[in-house]
Amino acid sequence: MLKVEGLEVRYGRLTALRGVSLHVERGETVCLIGPNGAGKSTLFACIAGGVSATHGSVTLDGKRIAGRRPEQIARSGLSLVPEGRNIFKTLTVEENLRLGAFMAKDRESIQARLDEVMAHFPRLAERFRSSAGSLSGGEQQMLAIGRALMTGPRIMLVDEPSLGLAPKIVDQVYEILMSLRDEKALTLLINEQSSKRALRHANRIYVLRSGEMRLEGRAEDLQDGEAVMRAYFGFDERREVGEAAQ
Amino acid sequence: MITFLQNVLDALSLGSLYALTALGIGLIFGVLKLINFAHGDFITFGAYALIIPSSADVAQVLVGGWSWELLIPTVCIAVIAIALASDYLVFRPLRGASPPTLMAASFALSYVIQNAIMVIYGARPKSVNLWPVLGDQTHVGPLTIPNLNLVTIAVTLALMVGMTIVLRRTSVGIQMRAAAEDFRMARYLGVRADLVIGLAFVISGALAAVAALLLVAQTGSLTQTMGQPIALFAFIATVVGGMGSLAGAVVGGFVIGAIVIMFQAYLPPDLRAFRDAFAFAFVILVLVAKPSGLLRAKGLVERV
Repeated sequence: MLKVEGLEVRYGRLTALRGVSLHVERGETVCLIGPNGAGKSTLFACIAGGVSATHGSVTLDGKRIAGRRPEQIARSGLSLVPEGRNIFKTLTVEENLRLGAFMAKDRESIQARLDEVMAHFPRLAERFRSSAGSLSGGEQQMLAIGRALMTGPRIMLVDEPSLGLAPKIVDQVYEILMSLRDEKALTLLINEQSSKRALRHANRIYVLRSGEMRLEGRAEDLQDGEAVMRAYFGFDERREVGEAAQ
Repeated sequence: MITFLQNVLDALSLGSLYALTALGIGLIFGVLKLINFAHGDFITFGAYALIIPSSADVAQVLVGGWSWELLIPTVCIAVIAIALASDYLVFRPLRGASPPTLMAASFALSYVIQNAIMVIYGARPKSVNLWPVLGDQTHVGPLTIPNLNLVTIAVTLALMVGMTIVLRRTSVGIQMRAAAEDFRMARYLGVRADLVIGLAFVISGALAAVAALLLVAQTGSLTQTMGQPIALFAFIATVVGGMGSLAGAVVGGFVIGAIVIMFQAYLPPDLRAFRDAFAFAFVILVLVAKPSGLLRAKGLVERV
């Protein structure tokens, strides 16, 4: 469904991504893991059209989307939940959600989507008319996911859903993501720092470090975590790795 | 007491002009992070649209002689046209440029417009008598109120209410507010950048046109630099109100209007010549106390 090939992104002289390739098939949940500064968020922003690539191609269902504007990519069914969530704090919860649905023409389909999002996020229904800036971190993450759902995506890119959240809240967020995958057959590409969590939820895993793809594999083949850790940290000291992973 | 009330009305009237202009500047800043110093020249352009282009010393009104139902839309369209043309020719090629680059471009645009006006209309100031009926006064009890003040305040209030309704209730309005807070995120959600930017220039142009008409009705004269002082005060109003906040721009406009009028009225006569210096000193004090302005824009915290 989504195919990235040989992607290169530069910020001035700095190369953030070098020859990165990845693919996500329909209905799959794929996790991208890697340390801070690996280029994970850059990769997501680049796929969604917010950052332009110097080389390489991105295709969605065989159609080239690299180089298109973010709003065009959103309209072709790819939705990004960015790192840090980027909630519109001066808007209400309702306005944040409706914003996702302005591409839809008729009121009925907007209302249907709104009802669906409310069913998945009862907490947002309670805070419907409050200012989004007053929400807690967890609620903001739910709103960001709900807002992305309002665009009616076929594939959703979720950038660091666990950032700054308590483990219990992160569990809730993943529970919802997994229920969306199961009920709506939503294809997910998730950027996650914790390899444990990634191995638990994903069908496949990619490890990105220093702008290059270091590992790709099916989650079931990587369950012992060693190969992932080696790719993640880039050295072969198993004991040290084991401690660092705790 | 009576003089104080008169002063309050003057402050509201001047504040209205600043608020309208600050809103026009603030809207463009919110969406494009462009501090448009050419906004004052949009106002000047709107004023010159009233007369026949000629370098003759005596101005001949064309649009300025029409009935107001026709005059207002015509001037609005003229200023909106120059605002959109400015975006297309100057700012669009600079999309993605840094805010200082954009600001420098707006200075250049400002000089181009001023000099183009000078070439076409000549360098001398021209007098235009727009809507002489507004020069009359209304008596309310002991108060004597120039009609122009009432019209200025009423028009501004109506435009503010109208803008609020558009920004709160319509889908384009919500898209604009979202874009003003976080343009990139809005685009990730499918908000069309061209639509939002175009609309911001249309509204900003219309606000500049209204400011131009109110200004001409007040001063009765045209010069190539007439819009500049207002744009400067309005820019300061957006800073005082909180750069990036539309409500802040309006509040800032009224605050600056009040400061200028009250210093004019209550400073010792010897010091009145330095009114603006006192006003700006006050602005500095406000910014020392609240560096991000009276109403801080929540969306303006930069993320890496």
